[in-house]
Amino acid sequence: MRPIEIPTFQPRMKVLNREQALAIHTAALEILEKTGIKMEHPTVLEALAGEGCRVSGRDWVKIPAYLAEEALHSAPRQIALYDQQGNKSMPLTHENPFYGTGSDATFTFDMETGERRRSVLSDVANYARLVDGLENIAFCMSMANPVDVPVIEDIYLQVFAEMVKNTNKPIVFIADSGKDIARIYEIACLVAGGEELLQQKPFLLNYSEAISPLRFPQNVMERLIFCAEKKLPICLPSGSNAGGGSPVTLAGAMALGIAENLAGLVIHQLFGKGSPFLFGPNVSVLDMKSTVVSYGCPEWSLTQAALADMRDELYGLPIWAFAGASDAKVMDAQAGAESMFSIITAMLSRCNLIHDVGFLEYGSTSSLEMVTMANELVAMSRFFVGGIPVNDNTLALDAIERVASGEPGSIFLMDDHTFEHFMEAQFLPTLLDRSRYDSWEQSGALDMYGRCNKEAKKILATHQVNAKSDVVLEEIDRLLRR
Amino acid sequence: MAEFNALTESVIKGDIKSAVAETQKALETGQDIQSIIDDGLIRAMDDVGERFSKGQIFVPQMLRSAKTMQECMKLIQPHFKEGDVKAKGKVVIGTVKGDLHDIGKNLVSMMLEGAGFTIIDLGVDVNPEAFVEKVKETEADIMGMSALLSTTMPAMRHTIDALKEAGIRDQVKVMIGGAPVTDDFAREIKADAYAPDAGSAVIQTKKLLGLS
Ligand code: B1M
Repeated sequence: MRPIEIPTFQPRMKVLNREQALAIHTAALEILEKTGIKMEHPTVLEALAGEGCRVSGRDWVKIPAYLAEEALHSAPRQIALYDQQGNKSMPLTHENPFYGTGSDATFTFDMETGERRRSVLSDVANYARLVDGLENIAFCMSMANPVDVPVIEDIYLQVFAEMVKNTNKPIVFIADSGKDIARIYEIACLVAGGEELLQQKPFLLNYSEAISPLRFPQNVMERLIFCAEKKLPICLPSGSNAGGGSPVTLAGAMALGIAENLAGLVIHQLFGKGSPFLFGPNVSVLDMKSTVVSYGCPEWSLTQAALADMRDELYGLPIWAFAGASDAKVMDAQAGAESMFSIITAMLSRCNLIHDVGFLEYGSTSSLEMVTMANELVAMSRFFVGGIPVNDNTLALDAIERVASGEPGSIFLMDDHTFEHFMEAQFLPTLLDRSRYDSWEQSGALDMYGRCNKEAKKILATHQVNAKSDVVLEEIDRLLRR
Repeated sequence: MAEFNALTESVIKGDIKSAVAETQKALETGQDIQSIIDDGLIRAMDDVGERFSKGQIFVPQMLRSAKTMQECMKLIQPHFKEGDVKAKGKVVIGTVKGDLHDIGKNLVSMMLEGAGFTIIDLGVDVNPEAFVEKVKETEADIMGMSALLSTTMPAMRHTIDALKEAGIRDQVKVMIGGAPVTDDFAREIKADAYAPDAGSAVIQTKKLLGLS
C-alpha cells in the first residue's frame, strides 16, 4: 500500500475572526439602511426607489439590508479575465493572487536620464510592453496620465488604445463617463473579435470609484450601468481612506467602504443581474503629518487582508487590492521595504486582483524599475507561499544515507538528488544580488535600482509583443480619429 | 499680551471648554476685542501653524485648535461694532470643473479659516462662471482653485480667462494648488500664487494680502 500523501500547508495569513467580520458587515448594512447614500443619477435613484429603497430629499436614498444580501447572491463568485488572445490568464477565485500596475501617475522616472518628469503617451506604451514581458505581472494599467494627448477629453481612450497596441495581457482601465467608456468598449470588441466573444472572454476590467463618504456621482453611475449591461467586469472601490474619506479607525473605515461597495453592487446587479463585480474598497490612511494618502502604509495591507477574510467568511466575491507601491520619492530602501511588505502580505492573505505595482511618491510617480523589482518580489513571495512539501522525496533520507555513509568526499552538492531537485527546491533570484563582493564590483557595482534599470531596458529592447492584426490596428486608429 | 496666555495655551491645546471660558472672562473684564483676537487667538494659531510645519504636531491637533478658535470667535462676534475688527480677507475657494476631489481643498479652507480668513466654499466641480459670479458678489480678495487631476488643470486656466472676460482679473488674487499642480504651471497660467500644501496656502494667502 502506498503511504498517504501529506498535504502541503501553504502559509496563509488571517487578521479577522468571524465575529469581527460579521460585526463589520453588520455595520456596513446599518450604514446603508440608516444613513443611506447620496445618489446623483436620477435613473438609478428611480430604480432604487422601485426596489423598495426609501428616498428622501432630492437624492438621498436608504437601502434595506436584504437588497445587499440579494446582490451578494446574484453576483458571480468567480471572475475570469482572459488575455487578449483568448486564454484564461486570470481566474479570480479565492486562492489566486494576480499583480499588476496602477493608473494615472502624473510623473515618471525617465529610464534613460533618471530624471522625474511629466508622463507622456509613449510611457504608457513602455509600461505595457514591460508588463507584457514580465512573468509575474499579470495585468496592465496605464501607469501614466500623459501630458501629450491631442484631445484631453479623450485621454482614457488614448491610453487604452496605447495599452492594447503594446500588450496582450488583461487590462484594467479608467474611463471618465458613459461616453468614453463606450468608445473604449468598441476597441475592446475589435480586439476580442466581437461583442459576444468579448463577453465570453473578457480581457478588461473597469476601475471606477464612488466618493467616500457615501456619494455616487452621475458619471460614475453611467460607467457602472454600462458595465452591468454589457457584462463587462468592473470594480468600484471608493477612497474610504482612514481619516480622509472615512473615520480614522480602521474598522469604521472598512465598514464605510464596504457599505459603499455594497450599494454599488446593489445598483450593478439591478442593471445586470449576474454581471461580474470585483469587490472591495481602498482603505489606506491619510497621513496626519504630510496629508498625503499613503501608498506604503501597513494599514492598507491590513485592511485588504481583513477584506480577504470577510470574503472567505461572508462574501465569496473576488477582491480588489493594492501592493508593490511606496511613498518614497525615489526607488530607495524605503521603496524596497514598503513594496515588499505589501506584496507578501497581499499574497499571504490571498488578495485577488492587486494593482498599483510600481508606484512611487504615493501614486504620483511611476517607475519602470519598481515594476521590474516587483516582478522578482512576487516570485519570492510565491516561493514562500508555496510552503514546504513534505514527502519521501523531499525528506531525502536516501540522499542523507548516501552522503553520510558514502566514500570520503561525497557531498550533497554532488548527489543526484540535488541535481534533480535544486530548481524547485530553491528560490533562484535574478535581480536580488547574492554574488560575492569582488564579482559584484567587477560587474559594475550596481545597486538594486541599477540592476532593475538595466533589466527594464533589456526587456524593452528585446521583448516582442505579439502584434495585433493590421485590420484591428487600422480600425483602432480610425476610431481614435473619430 | 501676557493676560491672554491662558487663552493662547487653551487654543494651542485645543481645549474648547477652557478657551471659551477664558474668552468669556476677557470679554467680561472689558478687554479690547481686536486684542483678544490678535494677541490671544491668532497668536495661538500662529504658534500652532509653526509647530505643525516643524512636524511637532499632527493635522487633527491643528484642526482642533482651529475649531477651538472658532468657538471663541462665536462668543466674540456679537460684541463687534462697526469698524471694530479688521476683516483679514475673503477667500472664494472651490475644486475646478470636472474634478470631484475635495479633501485637500477642505483642509486648505479650514486652515485659512483658522488663520482668520473668511471662506466661501463653492464645493467641487465648479465651473468658471460660478467662480466669477461669487468673486463679484462677495468682492473676494482671493480666489482659490484646487485640481487633483491633470485633466482638470486646464479648467484653472479657463477660470482665470473668465475672470478676465468679466473684467475683474485685477480685483482678485488667484491661488492654485492640488497634487499635479506645480509652480511652473501657476506661472504659465498667470496665477498669483501656488501652494503645495495647506500650511503653505496660509503663508501664500498672507503674502498675497500683504499681511506678512
Ligand atoms: C487654492 O489653493 C490651494 C492650495 C493648496 C492646495 C489646493 C488649493 N488644493 C490642494 N492643495 C494642497 O493642499 C492640500 C492639503 O495639504 C493638498 O491636497 P491633496 O488633495 O493633495 O491632499 C489631500 C489632503 C489628500 N489626498 C487626497 O485626497 C487625494 C488622494 C488620492 C488617493 C485620491 C482620492 C482620495 C480619490 N480619487 Co483620485 N485620488 C488620487 C490621490 C492619490 C494620492 N495619493 O494623492 C488621484 C489624485 N486620483 C486620480 C484619479 C485618476 C482619479 N481619482 C478619482 C476619484 C477619487 C476618489 C473619489 C476615490 C477620491 C477622492 C475623494 C474626495 N472626496 O476627494 C477619479 C476621478 C474623479 C473626478 N472626476 O474627480 C479618478 C479618475 C480615478 C477613477 N478610477 O475614476 C489620480 C490623478 C492623476 C492625474 N495626474 O490626473 C491620483 C493621483 C491617483 C493615481 N495615481 O491614479 C495639496 O495638494
